[in-house]
Amino acid sequence: MGKYILKRLLSIIPVLFGVSILVFFLVRLIPGSALELFLGTQVEATPEQMEELRRIFGEDKPIPILYLEWLSRILRGDFGYSLRTSRPVLPDILSRLPLSLELTIFSLFLSVIIGIPLGILSSLKQNPIIDILIRIIGLLGLSLPQFWLATLFVILFSSLEGLIPMGNFISFSKNPLLNIKMLFLPSLAIGLGLGAVVMRFTRNNILEVLQMDYIKTAKAKGLSQKAVLFKHALRNALLPIITILGFNAGYLLGGAIVIEEVFALPGMGRLALYAIFQRDYPLLQGIVLIISFLFVLINLLTDILYAFIDPRIRYE
Amino acid sequence: MRKSFVIFLLIILIVLSFSSGQIKRGGTLTIGVDQEVVGLDPNIVTAFSSFRRIDLLYNKLVKYDDRLNIVPDLAVSWEIPDNLTYVFHLRKGVKFHNGRELTAEDVKYTLERILDPKTGSPGRSYIEPISSIEVLDKYTVKIKLSTPLASILSGLASNNCAIVPKEEVEKYGNLQRNVVGTGPFKLAEWVPDNYMRLVRNPDYFEKGLPYLDEIIFRVIPEQTSLLAGLKAGALDMATINDGSVILQAKKDPNLVIMQKPGINVRTFGFNTTRKPFNDIKVRQAIALAIDREEIVATAEFGMAMPSGPIPASVKKWAKNVKLLPFSRPNIKKAKELLTQAGYPDGFSFKIVCSPTYEGGIAVAQVIQNQLKKIGLKPELEVLEWGIYIDRWKKRDFDSMVELRGGDPDPDRFLYRILHSKGAVNNFLFKDEEVDKLLEEGRRLTKYEERKPIYDKLQVLISEKAPVIFLYVPYETQILKPYVKGFKQVGNGALYYLTSTWIEK
Repeated sequence: MGKYILKRLLSIIPVLFGVSILVFFLVRLIPGSALELFLGTQVEATPEQMEELRRIFGEDKPIPILYLEWLSRILRGDFGYSLRTSRPVLPDILSRLPLSLELTIFSLFLSVIIGIPLGILSSLKQNPIIDILIRIIGLLGLSLPQFWLATLFVILFSSLEGLIPMGNFISFSKNPLLNIKMLFLPSLAIGLGLGAVVMRFTRNNILEVLQMDYIKTAKAKGLSQKAVLFKHALRNALLPIITILGFNAGYLLGGAIVIEEVFALPGMGRLALYAIFQRDYPLLQGIVLIISFLFVLINLLTDILYAFIDPRIRYE
Repeated sequence: MRKSFVIFLLIILIVLSFSSGQIKRGGTLTIGVDQEVVGLDPNIVTAFSSFRRIDLLYNKLVKYDDRLNIVPDLAVSWEIPDNLTYVFHLRKGVKFHNGRELTAEDVKYTLERILDPKTGSPGRSYIEPISSIEVLDKYTVKIKLSTPLASILSGLASNNCAIVPKEEVEKYGNLQRNVVGTGPFKLAEWVPDNYMRLVRNPDYFEKGLPYLDEIIFRVIPEQTSLLAGLKAGALDMATINDGSVILQAKKDPNLVIMQKPGINVRTFGFNTTRKPFNDIKVRQAIALAIDREEIVATAEFGMAMPSGPIPASVKKWAKNVKLLPFSRPNIKKAKELLTQAGYPDGFSFKIVCSPTYEGGIAVAQVIQNQLKKIGLKPELEVLEWGIYIDRWKKRDFDSMVELRGGDPDPDRFLYRILHSKGAVNNFLFKDEEVDKLLEEGRRLTKYEERKPIYDKLQVLISEKAPVIFLYVPYETQILKPYVKGFKQVGNGALYYLTSTWIEK
């Protein structure tokens, strides 16, 4: 197992290398540059000013050379400076990481609380009405757009004290209770949709598992429905959900942009969005590298967790 | 005699008890804005969001009041002995936030910093003709120009020309993160993408001001969230520019909507070197198909003022747009002109726009509809903001919807847009007559001499129509009723927050 983990960790390096090339060159294919956006349409600059500005914005050399320069700095831990704010890139990204992590964990947690019980209920097929109701909820959860749900939450709950952050976001270390209160609705907006996915997955898995031979054996042994379900079926059905959650965790880390915008949360998604709009290359490259690293790490953790829980799985 | 005196006293007491205009000192004002600032160095920044904070942290030599007149700021008075010389007399006892008194040396240092190409200051072009800056004594500065520039006072009123202290610039390299101004507020705390806290400057040179102890700027990107924040009481004030959100706010009796025509102008312009827009008849035909009132009603929910080449809100200079040629819809004449130009069946072309506020996609849609009535077939090219800017820079468009930053001085606004050497003349418009008038307008300094020139220019520009000036959008601030004393300035400036108080 240890050798396997080591191999996986080492494989992160070529992945990150590939990502760095992709992001560096791809983003420069988009028309527009940080310098152009800085000047906008209202500002005039003389030719000497333009030369100086180009040097400051790093546009005075060919792209492959800029890439090598950037790469050598990254390998030394220097993520460079934001083109827009002139601040060092890494501390800014890392300062937004806790919020994104919290949002991700909270959303996954809510999706599990919502999805699994409903999934189990609906798989029991005891009451056709409940089954249909739950299936409709599932459909709604999948189809309702996140931004719509988020905006609805803001409008409905803005009058309730502390429930909607208004540009006054408080970190967990400063005030844990207020922090969780503020993240509840944003996480719910994500969790509802994700919960629907988890629900359907749970339901289908349980139904599938219930067809298995060992279930028939358990029933033949005389175990009650409940015991069959909870002692045998559930454990096997829920395992694959870990994979789904793991995958979504990586995605949510950088992808909760809409939720962050609507709820005014200073997370990594919003930072990435601004970096793209402003063509702030150093910032964008830094964010993509870090998110990719975390994504791959989470995948690895998911696989390890899987192996721990399921004794049948062994990695070489 | 005694009786009437008692009645007199009673009347005074009654009047006083009714006056709710009692100024209360202290308190915190929380204002919601939708954009974070990138930096705070007044000589370097370009974004309007930055200017709004700088309004409260720094001062300029002169500034605009709420009626768009140039009034003293750091300079209490000035003389213009000839159109190449300006002598400014500075206020005495003005202190920077680090305690040092501001003198003429600081003005000289700042202006030279702005003029230095290495600074990369947007303010450079506003004061470019300055050839020398002389310190006559501790509080007197003499500025000499190489060529006349009537709009130089307007340029000096820009936030890009705010006065900064030399030793602090040299200490930090620039003032993007460190604020050392002379303004009514100081920077206390800044958490990017979250909030910025400003505190009262007790040594501010306007005695007794500001009233507020603290101002907090909160960054909330979504317009609906800003309104929700106001309603919930988390915000005392918010700058909102989305028409549909403003309409919602108007329905709430607990909110005060302050609106005023700004000085920015929405435009629809052409690349005048591209066929068929190189033909003046085609441009005039399009101008005749445009119905400004309809655009204002549809795209801006009625919250704008139709305008000609000079922002209609600048009443000193702007002619009534209805009196300008080719500025009233006339479908018949438009079709005739098109036929004369050789396009009886119209033609197809692209309109570049963007979903951002400045990119005017709603405006483009209304224009598209209006132009179909004269047989044209315009297609919208909706571009992401960065790509929009890129195409603008490369002059790669047929026609384009823009929001032009305006100015109360017609020279500063029109010269750079329409002079053949104008830096933001992306229409590639070149006309000798217009050039000559623009040059003369900036050379003369007296209003009476300049007015007839700019009157003529407005007529001429409407005739030649390289760009059609549509309207001036309203600037909107939404406040809670207990926020008193605030006044709007046409360019969106917030320095009247200095004399604002909270009555709670």
